[in-house]
Amino acid sequence: MSDDSVDFLHSGPLAPLKKWGTKWSLWPVHLVTACCGVELAHAYASGYDGERLGSLNYGIARQTNLIIVEGAITRKMARVLKITYEQMPEPKFVIVMGACGLKGGLFWNGYHMVRPSDVVPVDFFIPGCPPTPEALLRAIRSLQEKIVSGEARNTIEFEKYDLSKINVRGEQPLKPPSPKHYSPTPPIKVDVPKEVDWSFGKKLIAELKSDLEGLYKSITITDKNRIAIQAEKDDVVALASKLSKRFDHVKNVNVIDIPHEYSFIVEYQISSYSVKELMPVVVNLFARIPRNNPRFPSLAVFWPSADYLEREMYDLFGVWFEGNSAMGERFLLAPDTPEFPLRKDRKLREEIYSEVE
Amino acid sequence: MEEIVLDVPVQPPTELFLPVPKKFLEDAYKGDDYLVLVGPQHPGSGHMRIILRIKGDVIVEAIPDPGYVHRSMEKLAETRLYIQNIPLFERPAIMDTGNVTLGYVRAMEKALDVEVPERAKYIRVILAELSRIGTHLYDAGILAVFLGHTTGFMWPFALREPIVEAITRISGARITSSFIIPGGIRRDVPWNVLEFVRKTTFVLERRLKSFEKIFIKNPTVIERLKEVGVLSREEAIRFGLVGPFLRASGVEYDLRAVEPYEVYDSLNWEIPVSDEGDSYSRFLVRVEEISQSISIIRQAVNELRRIPEGKVISEDILQEYAEVASADIRGFFFRVFGELTLPLGEFTSLTEASRGTLLYSIISDGESNVPYRARVITPGWYYLKGFMEALRGERLADLQAIYGSFGYFPPEADR
Ligand code: SF4
Repeated sequence: MSDDSVDFLHSGPLAPLKKWGTKWSLWPVHLVTACCGVELAHAYASGYDGERLGSLNYGIARQTNLIIVEGAITRKMARVLKITYEQMPEPKFVIVMGACGLKGGLFWNGYHMVRPSDVVPVDFFIPGCPPTPEALLRAIRSLQEKIVSGEARNTIEFEKYDLSKINVRGEQPLKPPSPKHYSPTPPIKVDVPKEVDWSFGKKLIAELKSDLEGLYKSITITDKNRIAIQAEKDDVVALASKLSKRFDHVKNVNVIDIPHEYSFIVEYQISSYSVKELMPVVVNLFARIPRNNPRFPSLAVFWPSADYLEREMYDLFGVWFEGNSAMGERFLLAPDTPEFPLRKDRKLREEIYSEVE
Repeated sequence: MEEIVLDVPVQPPTELFLPVPKKFLEDAYKGDDYLVLVGPQHPGSGHMRIILRIKGDVIVEAIPDPGYVHRSMEKLAETRLYIQNIPLFERPAIMDTGNVTLGYVRAMEKALDVEVPERAKYIRVILAELSRIGTHLYDAGILAVFLGHTTGFMWPFALREPIVEAITRISGARITSSFIIPGGIRRDVPWNVLEFVRKTTFVLERRLKSFEKIFIKNPTVIERLKEVGVLSREEAIRFGLVGPFLRASGVEYDLRAVEPYEVYDSLNWEIPVSDEGDSYSRFLVRVEEISQSISIIRQAVNELRRIPEGKVISEDILQEYAEVASADIRGFFFRVFGELTLPLGEFTSLTEASRGTLLYSIISDGESNVPYRARVITPGWYYLKGFMEALRGERLADLQAIYGSFGYFPPEADR
């Protein structure tokens, strides 16, 4: 199209008609980026009926003209948001829902968070966590007004409170203590014994002890239905092959980073679906490995349910599970995230609580 | 130890394509199968990418690419007070607020060894079951969207409105209530609200009958879901399925019965189980659970008639504030919980959330007022493997039905 015809569309005699048409046909693309989507669904369902404003969710980006960013945008999602935005025809608009979309909200200092306004131009923000459906519909009304008048108007002014005057039942609410108390070199122990009244557990432990003779370092009852088995890394495969006869699935694969002891603890928490008595029992099989050479045998051959959990732990801690074919690949994290973010030497920004005027 | 700051600025993407791992492309190029990418932006709910290898129109392999909603919860938890992590750990699945917060709070209570007042236990169960019904309805609605059945979406969401209203009257927030705290609940629930909750269950029951006619027993729906995405009992166990999806494959495993918490062992209810293992039975098991939850809520409200109002937070937690705050914590929150420290050790709680097993494992060093490490595994993350295996050997057109029947909710799975 030549510039003339574009001008004609925007300011010619038919321009009001075009604006009117756009106003009543705002179609948001399906981009449920996070939990705010719950309230969006309410806004477009029978309770609030967003459709009466001429707005209805639609699946394909190329036939829509509005993105409602439903809360948190992660590094991985930022690219998708940009691509979806580029695919949409002009004129197009962006509404951002939720505290996460503003400045990160609850996750403001997370390592995987992005502000949507850094990625696409935003027309309206809706505060709330999650915002109510009414608030969302109000944003749509505001956008319609903006389309007609060309001006964006703020629809809400928050009252300023003097925090020192707030008084609940004669008490001034306390702020969360800040800064928090971190112990610099804490002791870490995952098998603290506990005296419990659990006769089946005592029997089970006796059986396990004779079964696993010579392979474990210690077996402890840590709570009712909870058993911890400490082992050496080299014995773990032999232990797993014996344990997998009783316990058929993995409940948890976990890594704990202890930099001041130069080690990682790797835990497999296993349990059973097939034997009724063993169902509530969770056995924690754990071993220590050196922090500078974090390698551990993959136990996914015995328990296929451990596969994705091991990949996740590689992503977050960099523990290499030998035998898992997907090691060395990113699974959850975006390509531009700093690697192994859950290690203790990776620092997030601290939050500080202070009185603001 | 050298410290690395994670606060790296994000560069908005400049090239507009999504990288597909090379090895999949080469494999597909050499073989005679296609590579189909589903998502991340797709017409369902939530975002993940599934890379499908297709022969004809049969799925040979489904490779997941999750993490689009990974909000770094486990790391963030290490920088916040134990008590501040309650809203954080509610965010994986906010429609399931009762169950997700209950899981985390129970892990803390295990460590502190506190006994919760009976009244609080019943109110917690009511909140958990309301959330369960709400989540099952939510997923039924999303399943309907996947099948292109708009009426089937509208009905469950209309049914969710009274539930949301009930949760609002109990806690003051529509969706994110964070109402459950260590030792009890934030404040007592007055009698007229409990009566409202009881009446809500009758509304739900009546309207569910019409939903049954419109969607559940609808021949088109049955045709789309029956014998699609079958997982046998052995497969379900091997891939570590959880919750209603495990029960749909014939394993009678419900943590509310296996390791009873709160007051579930004193109430009468059944565990719906099916042997089919297909998409339809996964859906039916959840529908059946709604009626069980309704009955649990009514029993709990009846039990609450005999327990006097006024004490919903444990005295072991409140200590010197027991006089003033045992029915309402407002004004004393950080006085009571600000310096909360757990003893040394690892504390694992298992909870039956709406979509299945929810695990919280807190590793405490016994000295700090923040967790040393907090591990959370949500149901979605557990059954992702089973979900991918269920796709294998099915037709491409059945992908939506299987996806919907699992109610896969990426914010929950990615945390
Ligand atoms: S603003 Fe709240 S509800 Fe919305 S995405 Fe963020 S955490 Fe979730």
